[in-house]
Amino acid sequence: MSEALVRPLKALSTRTYLWTAAAVLLLALPFYLDRFWLQAGLFAMAAALGAIGINLLTGATGQLSMGHAFFLAVGAYGYCVFAADGDDGLTGLGLPTWLAAVLAVLVAGVAGGLFSPISGRLSGAYLGIATLALVFIGQHVMFNAHDLTGGANGRDVPPLNLFGLTFDDRELLVAAVPFGSAEKLWYAGLLALLGGALFARGVLRGRPGRAMNAIRDHRIAAGVIGVPVARYRAAVFVLSSMYAGLAGVLLALVFQRTVPDYFGITLSLEYLAMIVIGGLGSVSGAVAGAVFVSLLPQLLTRYSDALPLVSAPGTGGIAPGEASRYLYGAAVVLVVLFLPGGLVRVTARRRTRTLTEER
Amino acid sequence: MTTTTYATRTAAGALAALLLLAGCSSKAKDDDSDKQSAGGVKTGEGISGKTITLGALTDMTGVYATLGKSVTQAQQLYVKQLNAAGGVCGYEVALSVRDHGYDPQKAVSGYTELEPKVLGFAQFIGSPFVAAVKQRVDGQDKGLVLPQAWSAALLGSPYIRVIGSTYDIETINAVDFLIKEKGIKKGDKIGHVYFEGDYGESALVGSKHMAKEAGLTVVEQKIKPTDNDMTAQVAALKQAGVKAIVISAGPRQAASLVGVAAAGGFDVPIIGNNSAFAPQLLATQAGPALMKNYYVASPSLPIGADTPEAKKLVADYQAAYPKDALDNGIVAGWTAASAFGEALKKACKNKDLTREGVDRALLTINTFDLGFGPTQDFTDPKSASSRESVILQPDKSVTGGMKVVREAEASEAAKTYNP
Repeated sequence: MSEALVRPLKALSTRTYLWTAAAVLLLALPFYLDRFWLQAGLFAMAAALGAIGINLLTGATGQLSMGHAFFLAVGAYGYCVFAADGDDGLTGLGLPTWLAAVLAVLVAGVAGGLFSPISGRLSGAYLGIATLALVFIGQHVMFNAHDLTGGANGRDVPPLNLFGLTFDDRELLVAAVPFGSAEKLWYAGLLALLGGALFARGVLRGRPGRAMNAIRDHRIAAGVIGVPVARYRAAVFVLSSMYAGLAGVLLALVFQRTVPDYFGITLSLEYLAMIVIGGLGSVSGAVAGAVFVSLLPQLLTRYSDALPLVSAPGTGGIAPGEASRYLYGAAVVLVVLFLPGGLVRVTARRRTRTLTEER
Repeated sequence: MTTTTYATRTAAGALAALLLLAGCSSKAKDDDSDKQSAGGVKTGEGISGKTITLGALTDMTGVYATLGKSVTQAQQLYVKQLNAAGGVCGYEVALSVRDHGYDPQKAVSGYTELEPKVLGFAQFIGSPFVAAVKQRVDGQDKGLVLPQAWSAALLGSPYIRVIGSTYDIETINAVDFLIKEKGIKKGDKIGHVYFEGDYGESALVGSKHMAKEAGLTVVEQKIKPTDNDMTAQVAALKQAGVKAIVISAGPRQAASLVGVAAAGGFDVPIIGNNSAFAPQLLATQAGPALMKNYYVASPSLPIGADTPEAKKLVADYQAAYPKDALDNGIVAGWTAASAFGEALKKACKNKDLTREGVDRALLTINTFDLGFGPTQDFTDPKSASSRESVILQPDKSVTGGMKVVREAEASEAAKTYNP
């Protein structure tokens, strides 16, 4: 982003104000919103983390992955296995929960690394199909490895415990507002998302990012100019899996229970939809797409009574669940047709336009 | 650099202002949870003004769409009739329905959204999702939840109450029927085709228990909900020489199993759990075979039962929803809504319409009978509310496509069974 260097000071300071306002707003929300909205926001944060991961892989490096749900599951179940104390008869190592979260992310990375011999050899649709297999294998294991996963009904997620603060539903009064798990996790989620987004931005803007884009645009040319293609592809697969693992840990904490039904092929496709709608290859695109895709169905369900055409369940007409699916489909088609760069291109285009006008 | 310090200062100032403001947030704690209404009835969450709101988390767009639709419409019908008869305690009852499409995220969100606004849940489809919110129900929310899932794993909570026999008990009764009426005897092999997951595995526990009691051997065939062709399973079971087959799967799998077995001249009795049949199957090619060799164990009489209550429900339902098919989802939904209604009426008599009041009221109901077979006993949260099953046979000429071949009864093994 060389434009950041030449941007006039005035534009920079407006942006800083905007960021500050957004940060204050985000920090304030738990004091005002009820649990439903906070939970929806947390789902969006987790989705954003996962989407950043798949955007590094698919958007920036051009490796199609349909197996993202599998790595999310590894993160979610990994956390449960490391953190649970085994009281419910399932395998649990009883580690401190922060360590369990870190280990779960690492295990997701290792799972991605183990897959890299395959991901290094295949590309395009073939890689997509190979990663698809991961989802099915993962679901089979989740349903059948009862000691590890609790089978079809899933297993309880031990609440996160950081510096003596437990992220569970015991009420904690902050400025007369009762803080339950959603309020506390909100801040943990924001922190994780901020860290994840900054790290990914660093990767994308630095040398590795340029190498990844070179691999996406022309693999052979990238190799010729000295990019170690195989190593980069493996590394980015590991990194993307770790992001998915972190998203999985956060999701597990929000759900308070992991169930295998969640980590299916639809979830993988949703992540692909997020980065297509948001914008391929950028962090802000992944976040925008994730927020759009994960909030849309919730909004439609919540306001189904007030929306035209969408009817309350059981009265005939289009159910909210169906309506959000139609809107999804329409959004993907519209974005591909009119906004090939995704939602972030709208703001980016406006910014470049104002910049040229100022000059 | 000045910009950054300025920004930090603004941020800090804003944050301080915010903490002050938070005191005015509507979320700030104040004590008004228990209210006393004019009639001296204690009320709490889920009651505002003159309305009691009940939640229903259903599936109208996912795998259980047909079940969800029937259950919801039956419950809406019940609520309408209850209100027409004067409601409960002078309160009108409203049903707040959310469709989760069998998606865990939407189910948990739906629960989170409705929970502060409702007294309890008259419907919650999908046992994994009920399990997902179990911690919250037991720990703090304490509202009554009546799941439309008959899994033994859901028993044990004083707030989550399964209505009717669970799948394991139902399967014990099904195998008992095979032994008593279909000549299966000690040393015989029976096949069990079951879904991977909670429903099928719960049923398998039942068939294995019964096999041990009666000296049978179970030949297991595990399938996935996406497997629709049962040719391989029929071949394997024929090879193993089974004398009867139990199926704990969906209607499609049952139709395929019965049809393929009949086409191959493999003439053994086949019995399924209540979810393994839909009246629509009778119009397919497997129809004749289903009517000859197939039986279904069910926790209640079918919708077409010959009781005045069933006949009235059929007439009312058809008047309200003339275009929709009649199936046993209607009975399930009606029973659950009535049980909730009954608990509400009892809680009203006790002058306590809070969540705890309703939970307690349900715990005192021990002979709940709607005219659909087994009486339900809700006094013990640790065991199923009934251990009886009705054995049905598909029949095209009957309303709802099923007739009763054995009235509600609990087998000896089911009576003594403890999961």
